[in-house]
Amino acid sequence: MNRRQFVLGALGCPAIATASVLAFADDTTKLRDLYNKDLSFSDYALEREGQRVSISGFMAPPLKAETKFFVLTNRPLAVCPFCETEAEWPDDILAIYSKRIIEVISFNTRIVSRGRLELGTYTDPETRFVSRVRLVDAVYERA
Amino acid sequence: MKNLLIASLALALSTGVALAQELPQKDSKWFTDAQAKIQEMVARQPITKRAKNVILFTADGNGVGTNYAVRLFSGQQAGLLGSEYVQPQETFPNLALVKTYTTNGQTPDSAPTASAMNTGVKSKNTMINVDETIAVNDCANMAGHELKTFAELASEAGKSVGVISTARLTHATPAGVYAKTVNRNWEDNTGLPEDCTNQTDIASQLINQMKAGVIDIAMGGGRRHFIPTDFTDGEGKTGKRTDGHNLVEEAQAAGVQFAWGDEDFAKLKLDGSPVLGLFESSHMKYEYDRAGEPSLAEMTEATIKALQNNENGYYISIEAGRVDHANHDGNLHRVLTDGKAFADAIALADELTDDEDTLIIVTADHEHAIAFNGYCGRGSPITGLCYDIDDAGVKHTNEPKKGKDGKAYTVAGYLNGAGSVLKEDQQWTGSRPELTNEQAMDPDYLQQALIPMSSETHSGEDVAVMAKGPWAHLFDGVIEQNYIFHVMNYAVNAK
Repeated sequence: MNRRQFVLGALGCPAIATASVLAFADDTTKLRDLYNKDLSFSDYALEREGQRVSISGFMAPPLKAETKFFVLTNRPLAVCPFCETEAEWPDDILAIYSKRIIEVISFNTRIVSRGRLELGTYTDPETRFVSRVRLVDAVYERA
Repeated sequence: MKNLLIASLALALSTGVALAQELPQKDSKWFTDAQAKIQEMVARQPITKRAKNVILFTADGNGVGTNYAVRLFSGQQAGLLGSEYVQPQETFPNLALVKTYTTNGQTPDSAPTASAMNTGVKSKNTMINVDETIAVNDCANMAGHELKTFAELASEAGKSVGVISTARLTHATPAGVYAKTVNRNWEDNTGLPEDCTNQTDIASQLINQMKAGVIDIAMGGGRRHFIPTDFTDGEGKTGKRTDGHNLVEEAQAAGVQFAWGDEDFAKLKLDGSPVLGLFESSHMKYEYDRAGEPSLAEMTEATIKALQNNENGYYISIEAGRVDHANHDGNLHRVLTDGKAFADAIALADELTDDEDTLIIVTADHEHAIAFNGYCGRGSPITGLCYDIDDAGVKHTNEPKKGKDGKAYTVAGYLNGAGSVLKEDQQWTGSRPELTNEQAMDPDYLQQALIPMSSETHSGEDVAVMAKGPWAHLFDGVIEQNYIFHVMNYAVNAK
């Protein structure tokens, strides 16, 4: 039970407290299921555009502190010093725009993020980060 | 007495009389297979003609342990228990263990290892084809310290030269064929210090060597290092160059055919005229994820068919570049599927060439921090759990072995890397989670590791070299890695 559930439960809202746990468990899918092999969006992604979805993956080390943004990866993002001179994003990533300032979770601890699925190329006006697919208004927790 | 013994032994072998007739085990298939092998080995003759062609296959990061895992995986994919499987290169008659250390690295990286194989001497980590007296980044003092490469020697002898990799063509192992640089990271002009005039960037060096006729065919990844930042390629990605040069267009203007996907790859004229294939912006895809670009076997076939038009022969360097990357990621499944693709390319090259005139060498540049647990029964899936041995049978019992923590463990693991059970947000503590075979065999699974790192490391242990063809028998025992150049050089110059 996390802190939010405890507080909600204590305030007499046990239904909400347990519902958020159930919601994560029911329809969570892995990040790779959003993409086809040729990196076009899968039917799963296309059918859920605009809806809240629950995606399991890993939090890449955030680009800066005090941010509401992170990148979800399908496998833990290993930064190989010989392979790359700078961090290289895999092609199959998911940009997460969180509701709150993020608390960093280790890049190799599986998390689940829930948010509204947006498809299509978008350049973040602040960071210039270009994403093809995003979860917005997102929350997340350890899997 | 000793002479009598030797004489009777020789007589027994020469008349084909098996020494086995007194042994209870003589009818076991293990026994008869080994007896057949003895006969094959006794009859074996070295090939001592001059080598017309040399093909050097390198699977980056595919040491003895990693190769073992690829063998088991390939066998299990073929429906066998795994250990008994024989990879194509494992049928080659000649083998040596290779010492991969460099002049300053007990643990090597791919740059000096490629240099050793292409120049015949060892040098420092991070440097490609520059001698060991020069420091990394020391562009100012490198003049006169560049090493001559096997590609240059082959080209001077009238041979064609090909370089293939599933990594970026500007990455260390393929660059070892044609480039000379005091830093392997100077893949385009942006890495080069402003005052550095003694060398150009690696991508420029490839195009220059193609224009000079030293390199005839180059296929791999790394398109972004050849095109400018304001140029968008056929896959919608921009380049990295900031010097205004579009090296792809410059190569085409010089008469080089260009391909960037499997459609134009299929249309290439394979008559020996120069070809540049840049199939990804960065590295090519892992075999497991590959779509829209040729496989290592397809690139191998195209290059051999093109360069066999040269009556003076060829030197081709073929690299499975990403066995290494998947090991760095701690993701064994992709290690193995790339390792299998490497073996497929070897089998095809063997089929397309003649042992009498083509020296084929298969090796790795270095190993990784991969390790294997026991005691597993036969058929334990190499990416999955270590199952118990069946005391009454052959295949494992389906009961996972457990550690003292009561949890199952995989056959393979890593000493370090992203799969570490120690987590930064738990103050570097942690414990092994419960693990099912289904979880472990997921293609995206990272096998458990101990020391936390953002990327798993190479190791300094020996790798193998396997060879067939003219003078392949010069590979034997435990050798220095730079000796590989000397075998190639001897073979192509033999009288």
